[in-house]
Amino acid sequence: MGEESTRGEPDAVGGPVGRRRISQMLVVGLLASAVGIALGLIIDWFPADGSTQADKIDTLWDVLIICSVPFFVLVVVVVLFAAHDFRMRPGQEQLDGPPIHGNTKLEVIWTAGPAILLVALCSYAYIVLHDIEKAPAAGNERVVEVHAQQFTWTFSYNENGQKFTTAQLYVPEGKSVRFNVTTRDVLHDFWVPAWRMKIDAVPGITTHIRVTPKRLGTYPVVCAELCGLGHAFMRQTAHVLPAAEFDRWVQKMTTRAGGGAAGGGEGGGAAGGGEKVDAKALFMKGDSASGATACGACHKLADAGTVGGVGPDLDTALKGRDKAFIHESIVDPNADITKGFDANIMPANYKDLLTGAQLDALVDYLEEVAGK
Amino acid sequence: MEAASLPVAHDHHGPPPANRSSRVEPALLGMLLFIISEIMVFGAFFTAYFFIRVVNEGATWFPIDGVDLPVAVAGVNTAILVSSSLTLHWAQTSIKAGNRFGMQAGMFTTFLLGLTFLFIQINEYVHVGFAPQDHAQGTIFFGLTGLHGAHVTIGLVLLAMVTWRAFRGHFSAEHHDGLEIPGVYWHFVDIMWIIVYMTIYVL
Amino acid sequence: MITQLRRPGWPRAIFAMLLAGAFSTALSWSVRAAYGHDRFEHLLQAQSIVIIAMIAVPLAFLVGLGCFDYWFYWASGRPTRPEDHSSHGATSWRDYLRPNTDHKVIGVQYIVHSFAFLFIGGLMAMLMRAELAQPGRQFVDASTFNGLFSVHASLLIFLFVIPVFAGIANYVLPLMIGAPDMAFPRLNALSFWLLPCAGILMLLSFLAPGGSFASGWTAYAPLATDQPLGQMFFTIGVQFAGASSIATALNFLVTIITMRAPGMSFFRMPLLVWANFATSLLVVIATPFIAASQFFVLLDWSLGFNFFDSERGGDPLMYQHVFWFYSHPAVYIMMLPGFGIISEVIATKARKPVFGYRMMAFSLLAIVILGFTVWAHHMFVSGMQSWIRIPMMVTTAIIAVPTGIKIFSWLATLWRGVLRLDTSMLFALGFLAMFTCGGISGVMLAMVPLDIHVSDTYFIVAHIHYVLFGGSLFTIFAGVYHWFPKITGRHVDERLGKIHFWTTLVFFNVTFAPMHLIGVEGMPRRVADYADQFATWNLVISLASFGLGLSTLLFAYNVLSSARGGARATANPWRALTLEWQVSSPPPIFNFDAVPTVVGGPYEFGVPGAVHGIFAPTRPAEVPAGAAATPSTTPTPGGSAP
Ligand code: HEA
Ligand code: HEA
Ligand code: CUA
Ligand SMILES: [Cu+2]
Repeated sequence: MGEESTRGEPDAVGGPVGRRRISQMLVVGLLASAVGIALGLIIDWFPADGSTQADKIDTLWDVLIICSVPFFVLVVVVVLFAAHDFRMRPGQEQLDGPPIHGNTKLEVIWTAGPAILLVALCSYAYIVLHDIEKAPAAGNERVVEVHAQQFTWTFSYNENGQKFTTAQLYVPEGKSVRFNVTTRDVLHDFWVPAWRMKIDAVPGITTHIRVTPKRLGTYPVVCAELCGLGHAFMRQTAHVLPAAEFDRWVQKMTTRAGGGAAGGGEGGGAAGGGEKVDAKALFMKGDSASGATACGACHKLADAGTVGGVGPDLDTALKGRDKAFIHESIVDPNADITKGFDANIMPANYKDLLTGAQLDALVDYLEEVAGK
Repeated sequence: MEAASLPVAHDHHGPPPANRSSRVEPALLGMLLFIISEIMVFGAFFTAYFFIRVVNEGATWFPIDGVDLPVAVAGVNTAILVSSSLTLHWAQTSIKAGNRFGMQAGMFTTFLLGLTFLFIQINEYVHVGFAPQDHAQGTIFFGLTGLHGAHVTIGLVLLAMVTWRAFRGHFSAEHHDGLEIPGVYWHFVDIMWIIVYMTIYVL
Repeated sequence: MITQLRRPGWPRAIFAMLLAGAFSTALSWSVRAAYGHDRFEHLLQAQSIVIIAMIAVPLAFLVGLGCFDYWFYWASGRPTRPEDHSSHGATSWRDYLRPNTDHKVIGVQYIVHSFAFLFIGGLMAMLMRAELAQPGRQFVDASTFNGLFSVHASLLIFLFVIPVFAGIANYVLPLMIGAPDMAFPRLNALSFWLLPCAGILMLLSFLAPGGSFASGWTAYAPLATDQPLGQMFFTIGVQFAGASSIATALNFLVTIITMRAPGMSFFRMPLLVWANFATSLLVVIATPFIAASQFFVLLDWSLGFNFFDSERGGDPLMYQHVFWFYSHPAVYIMMLPGFGIISEVIATKARKPVFGYRMMAFSLLAIVILGFTVWAHHMFVSGMQSWIRIPMMVTTAIIAVPTGIKIFSWLATLWRGVLRLDTSMLFALGFLAMFTCGGISGVMLAMVPLDIHVSDTYFIVAHIHYVLFGGSLFTIFAGVYHWFPKITGRHVDERLGKIHFWTTLVFFNVTFAPMHLIGVEGMPRRVADYADQFATWNLVISLASFGLGLSTLLFAYNVLSSARGGARATANPWRALTLEWQVSSPPPIFNFDAVPTVVGGPYEFGVPGAVHGIFAPTRPAEVPAGAAATPSTTPTPGGSAP
């Protein structure tokens, strides 16, 4: 084909020289692809693989890397070789390339090739999708209700007839859990990166995902759908416990739920019941047992030395306010919004999560250090 | 549109005449394409209708708590709008035959019929017995009929201009694009109404 | 003074806008008076005035500026006056500030205006990166940040990429097909002047109480329907941008179909014309859907309708379906014209015919058709009926095939050519690599199980920028450098141009490549604050992004200075065959003295003695409009008699 090339030079390709170039290119391309794929597989992209779903998805990722890197390399290598071999050299300003209008064989190849590959990938992806979403073969699986609201999560359990609510997620290791996700206001998205699975919380309907946690530990629960001001802060924690420990936790929650107020869900943990509450610690650290997030995370308070800038500065906001006001501000944050801040930023679930004792202690403490 | 086709001053400096690479009248083609995107606007509203009436679980349709849609009145209205298409057609054929009176009379009646339709529609809004704020069904009812009402209004403005110009002595057996093209739009508005009527009231 | 206000122009425009403001207030108050308070509570607030004004004032501006004068005149039934081309062409900068019917002037208006918004939008990106440089709050609060990325995206999509392509095409497309102008010059002028309305509205949203619109460029309901007033500036602004692109698309389609030079069959059209043909089809069919989706939001927000109120039978997912049925095709609206530019640049600068011309054209149409069948790939985790995901996954993946055909054909075009590696060519080559990367990450996203994990993470942000910056913006740079001599009659400074390319290429990759990683690692998008584990990478990204910003400034300096003092350009510096290069640079006011006749393909490089178009021997510019449609050289009857 090289004959009619209007570039009358020996190094013009097509002839034997050209074929050598092409084989050189092939070698370079293969090497580069090998390196690229190796890199793609070595880099640990994902967070800890915390669920059986994670394994399958990570494998899919590897397959995709292996299939797609060569295409990228192909494009880059051809571009670089072309730029090097065929660039216009001094004196060639008036030359043209050979008038090649096409080549049916090539065009068929690069149409059919990717098409086949892609169909194959889709079929594989479909199988994976089927696996990660299918219900467990045996036994009835545990259902956890996930309620999203601006800007917090609450989780409702129904363990052997006992209902209770927490702000932190507890699941046993190795058992498939079905999360039924709902929202009280706008769209949110329930996502635990370590589990790979996510689903939107949509007003008016209940969506669900399935996860079989397989690794102990605590993982962040993230809201992945833009839901307003507090979107970035809509974080909670998921605890994966050994089965036995999980049952013990359920025990604790059900008993206090039994004793607790209607609607249940008084967290409180050790700090619960009647005994004395360290309000300052509660303010600074929150309550890990019930998952009540720390006030200090968002509020500035000189006495506690917290600097959070999300919510109002309590030293000024509470100046001269009485207990009643402080109490209301905690249980119903939207009742009175400090100027310059917006509604629905502070979680409205403290009344569910704090015991009466904790609440009173907190109110006293705040009135004492900031109120007057 | 006439402007282009009028001979102009001799020493006039202007562009070379463009080559006509297609037999279709540019203005007409433009209108047809515009109608395509108009159809898509309605398409989007029908999507909303489809979701609200069919896809939503527990979706219901009229009658809602006793209130039903005035199918009969709207039926009469449909007849009025369809007949306006016929009178418009009459006007168009008349001018092609060079019959000025036919065109003027036709345009005028078409305009009046369209106006009547709009009036009855508004009247229906007043008495329909629910508001778009009440429920999604009401929303989409007012949404679709309102969207169509807006198009009728636009169409009426166009018809008004055409009628006006018809009486001002414009148009002739040769030059009647200015009547043809708004006409196409009006026919589209009519056909759209038949679909809206079928989906909202009848089905 | 009075005459000033009667003549179309800025004084009249300002006066009309004042009137419109007064009108809006009056209307709002009378409605308030007429209705019971409970249901129309929104109308009870001053917000209603703003909302009405947002529609009335821009329209008044257009009327005042004179965009409609001719039509009013025509419709009022007065005897139509002959077209004197008074509003055609530009002799001073002032002519760029009024409705102008010359497609070349409009093209320049588009391009300059769009690039202004690239810089504004980019500046917002800089602010975002500054905020994200470290975890925790730097200097913008959450609401400002949400506002920043929402406006950033909206401006860059609706006021940069989409219109700048329309601008480039506006300039070169009529020249390429041998037409003296677009089919509807006045509509063309109108569709440009709609853009500032949209842009100004979106920028003004920062002044709204409660801040600018902050629900992302996707403005998902029901979040969008319970946002502060700022949201409406997006909802209504988009309507103007949408109207603009629909009008332009109509214009392109009619121009391409009815005004091609004699002998220019569809398969002799340059691929840029094909690309804009395909794009315009997408626009005409898809854009009404985003218009409608924003109508819904407007009605829900301002009048309390229930399109998206699930308690009253509305459906939030419906919003996403309607929105993406436009916005997926929109991403091809933002890419296909770029494909066209690349075909022109590569063929010309590689001195070879485009490899597989017909397949290039057909793959464009294939993308158009497939483009309408994939919208729900943005909704894999939205909770829609789960079965929809499967067909959408397949169609989405299949789109890689026609796109691949194009990529490979360009590579084959390079092979054995004589490559002139100037700036525009460098950007074209850069595009091939960067867009492939972005496209491949797109194909990964198409695989549902993976998307379930990476959806709404920075992996998406990486994909967005590889396709929109590495894809669209690279093609735009290539196009600007390629046609700069034609538009300004001067050459850009190649040295600065090459520096611009290399800095852009490097900083672009350092900015956006790491986003793939932190995305997969679990950093969600649209967050002002993030976990400490991502701190290092985000710092790297931020620093690199500033470099990217500066490199873009370098581009600005280069084109501005070259437009003034660059070396003079000849009519056809690239030895191209397409018609726009056969006329002087910049082209004469009416493009051609006589419409040329096309006798061959547009890229017959290397074919001995091949020509694309032949020009009738030039004749005096005095052409009687209304002369016969054939490009005859003999004066026609009504013609130029002494
Ligand atoms: C110019 C704009 C543009 C373009 C061209 C594309 C092109 C593609 N996009 Fe992208 N996309 C966006 C802009 C664009 N996208 C934006 C802005 C978003 C985010 C919206 C938001 O939420 O804000 C998005 C989001 C997005 C999603 C949703 C992710 C999510 O939110 O969860 C998906 C999922 O499928 C997707 C897929 C694709 C695919 C398959 C292509 C294909 O068309 C790519 C085809 C090209 C190639 C594949 C490369 C060349 C081909 C070859 C070299 C052949 C061989 C290759 C293989 C066999 C792999 N895109
Ligand atoms: C064509 C489209 C386009 C372009 C060109 C860009 C350009 C850039 N984009 Fe953007 N971007 C989008 C389209 C685009 N983006 C979209 C659609 C989204 C999704 C939004 C959403 O989630 O809703 C997004 C979102 C997005 C995010 C994610 C926000 C989030 O989810 O939290 C980020 C974060 O880094 C980002 C950064 C950048 C940067 C650094 C550039 C840079 O390339 C900008 C470079 C250009 C300039 C900087 C301008 C020139 C320089 C000056 C004006 C002088 C100032 C310079 C200095 C001070 C150094 N973009
Ligand atoms: Cu909840 Cu984001
Ligand atoms: Cu898409």
